[in-house]
Amino acid sequence: MEGRAFILGNDIANDGHLMALEFALSRESDPEILRHQIFKGLDEALADQLTPGDLIVTGRRFAQGNPHIQGFIGLQGARIGLLTESIPSSSYRLAINAGVPLLPSCPGLRAQTTQGDILRVDFETGSVLNVTSGEELNFAPIPVHARAIIMAGGWPPMFKARLKQQKQSRERNHSGQKV
Amino acid sequence: MSERGFTIVEKILSRVCKQNVYASSLVFPEAELVTMHDWYAANAGAALEAFGVERMFDPSRVLISTDHEPLAVSPGAAIRQQQVRNFAKKYNVGHFHDVGRSGLGHVFPVEAGLVRPGMFIAGYDTHVTNFGAVGAYGVAVLTEVTELLALGSVWQTVPETVRIELTGRMQKGVSIRDVAQRLLFTLDPELVDDAVIEFGGAGTAGLGIDARYTLCNTPTEIGARSSIVEPDKIVTDYLAERCSEPVDLLKADTDARYRAVVTVDLSTCEPQVSLPPRPENVADVSTVAGREIDHAYIGSCASGMLTDLRVAAELLRGRQVNPRVRLFVTPVSQEVARAAAQEGLMEVFIKAGAIITQAGCGVCAGGRIGPVAPGEVSIGTGTRNDPGRLGAHDATLYLASPATVAASAITGKITDARFLSGLVR
Repeated sequence: MEGRAFILGNDIANDGHLMALEFALSRESDPEILRHQIFKGLDEALADQLTPGDLIVTGRRFAQGNPHIQGFIGLQGARIGLLTESIPSSSYRLAINAGVPLLPSCPGLRAQTTQGDILRVDFETGSVLNVTSGEELNFAPIPVHARAIIMAGGWPPMFKARLKQQKQSRERNHSGQKV
Repeated sequence: MSERGFTIVEKILSRVCKQNVYASSLVFPEAELVTMHDWYAANAGAALEAFGVERMFDPSRVLISTDHEPLAVSPGAAIRQQQVRNFAKKYNVGHFHDVGRSGLGHVFPVEAGLVRPGMFIAGYDTHVTNFGAVGAYGVAVLTEVTELLALGSVWQTVPETVRIELTGRMQKGVSIRDVAQRLLFTLDPELVDDAVIEFGGAGTAGLGIDARYTLCNTPTEIGARSSIVEPDKIVTDYLAERCSEPVDLLKADTDARYRAVVTVDLSTCEPQVSLPPRPENVADVSTVAGREIDHAYIGSCASGMLTDLRVAAELLRGRQVNPRVRLFVTPVSQEVARAAAQEGLMEVFIKAGAIITQAGCGVCAGGRIGPVAPGEVSIGTGTRNDPGRLGAHDATLYLASPATVAASAITGKITDARFLSGLVR
């Protein structure tokens, strides 16, 4: 993934900053609607400035607070990647389930990145190349099973695959019993 | 992997997974009870249909409670309740507790004897952690709750554990809610993130089940995956008349491995208030004492238990809610409402001018009941105070103990209850 860096601070709230609580309460799940609502509580204009491939570079505890998935669906809808110094595990799981590519533990990256720098990120290896400055940093990638969920497009396709697997297993057992 | 002792949650998941598992193992543990509230049940029903799931993995283990919006006061809410009823019927849900039947789904299952020490429970809500009050492991499953209903499990890593040793006794006029809020301030969120908090030590011996709900309720606000109080005789005694199944008091092994061990002296805590905009933004009540309020509420899965209502009623007895304030009181369950009525607490609230609402989550559930208006100031015993949590975005929301909230409702400004009860002059 390659795009511009948008730098945010520490303790960005899930409800209110990343996404207005109303969308969680109404259970909105349409990425086309939510992509236009991300970060409205923080910066009214940010959603319109982001283009696919851009990367949000944040400080500690990104999306802290009540874990609602709507903000992450919005990020996925906008095709945005996440590079956080840290992210609470509940929000980490939501990001995975929404299919948002991320590196959850990037200490020092924010300090070495300037707003608008072009970053090239390899989420499989954890490498972040700052194309603008030429500097490369390496962070821990997320585990293979979590990466597989993101690559599949989030939780729904993984759930479908597990359902299919279970059905096939039942059918095999059923035909085995007949024999 | 070297053999070593187990934490409580490692013991629970080892039993459920039928193999020894330690922190960081990737597992698919089958839930022994799945809980869900009215605000998500209809969505879950629609999702099951969309994925072509015709039956749940085991509907007898599924519990749905209408607690977030028990009193429908809009056509939309009435339709949602209807959808929940239809969903429960269609999928033959084993434990469907409609409005007026039981109350808040993080508490009444324990009252009903459905939860035992050592059980693994998963549910759609972050406060499923309350079940740690009786030594059960409750974990929130959000987006994937449809998978949980269909297949009985979702992936998890076995969590690490942070052990908190409680020592000492609380001062008079200080409650467990104050301690729980103080912990949100003193614990590093990155230390407890995704960990189970295991409460133990001599200080737990003086804590009843109601206090243990509160203790297990709040750490999730700073990212803990769950909380468990090491079960003891208090749990055995509480469940004796409620639970027909054998009660096994799981303890951690002495050589269990913890992420950290923290000692907390209960005697050093003062009454606390969470300031806007987050629960962990905690200060001594003295720092905000005198701030005028418009709105107050006592209730929620953190502090709507009988013990909480008793504390509030003691302060409100013979006094009036300040004319500028509206005070909402919500018993956490039908059983608590009945007991509060029997003890005369309801009469105290009514005489004081408080508004008693249907058992459940009360005001805390997004402000659907008794919300705040723009610019108002609220103090309540809910779980969170993010902007917009109770309605208007620009309202100012404080969180505190039932005593502080009741005292503040009486005076019309944030008040240290110890002044009213004569403990402090």
